[in-house]
Amino acid sequence: MIPTHWFLILSAILFTIGVCGVLTRRNGITIFMCIELMINAVNLTFIAYARQFHQLHGLLFVFFIMAVAAAEAAVGLAIFISLFHHRDTIDVDEANLMHW
Amino acid sequence: MQFAIFFFFAAVAVIFALVVVLHRNPVVGALSLVASFFALAVMYVLLEAPFLAALQVIVYAGAIMVLFLFVIMLLNLQHHPETPTRPVQQFLGYTTSAGFGIALVYYLLKYAVFEKLPEGPFQSDVRAIGITLFERYIFPFEMVSILLLAAIVGALLLSARKGLPPKHPHEVAP
Repeated sequence: MIPTHWFLILSAILFTIGVCGVLTRRNGITIFMCIELMINAVNLTFIAYARQFHQLHGLLFVFFIMAVAAAEAAVGLAIFISLFHHRDTIDVDEANLMHW
Repeated sequence: MQFAIFFFFAAVAVIFALVVVLHRNPVVGALSLVASFFALAVMYVLLEAPFLAALQVIVYAGAIMVLFLFVIMLLNLQHHPETPTRPVQQFLGYTTSAGFGIALVYYLLKYAVFEKLPEGPFQSDVRAIGITLFERYIFPFEMVSILLLAAIVGALLLSARKGLPPKHPHEVAP
């Protein structure tokens, strides 16, 4: 059996890669994919702790997180399509409609 | 054997995640993210959660990432090269995330090392999950269904163009 903290470290590395992508990229959809990566890192943590403590609640949280991530992806991508129609670009630095 | 599988698929997940962050073409990024999610599904199997591994493959790699690829190709993004990030932002982003990652791993190794593994198999088959889901979590389950309905309506409203006013008042619709 593989120790739980190895999974936690893998999850930490994946989360860090996602943070790095969000901070350094400018393409909106790539930033969105990095957010999905961070969500998956958190899911891995939930499942690792669920096995460590033999609790089903962690697994159910992952279930709900997946549903919320699907809703978030649908709405977020619709926002990017709308932004592309208005600005002809997906660059997040150009999305300054609400900038005063 | 389990350890070999763990290290192989951990390496796969990390390498493809790095490709997502470093590659300029979003199509390549989306496909590497699919590969990374498959490797994570293997991790879920190693953690005795086969139901969630199946969900990961079906929902994430199958549905969400197809939506991403669909939007990338709809907007023809592979022909719009991303403008490079400013060097200051790049430097600050890499150093901040590296410091964050090092701190995270350090504190995990300091406080979250479990010497004792749980004994006995983890009862996480579909039956146990279903009983818990429909007994204790029935209210969040129904809320999630309403949330998904709201997401469908929101996505339709946001991405539909017909019927909306033109973006400039004096513009003549084609």
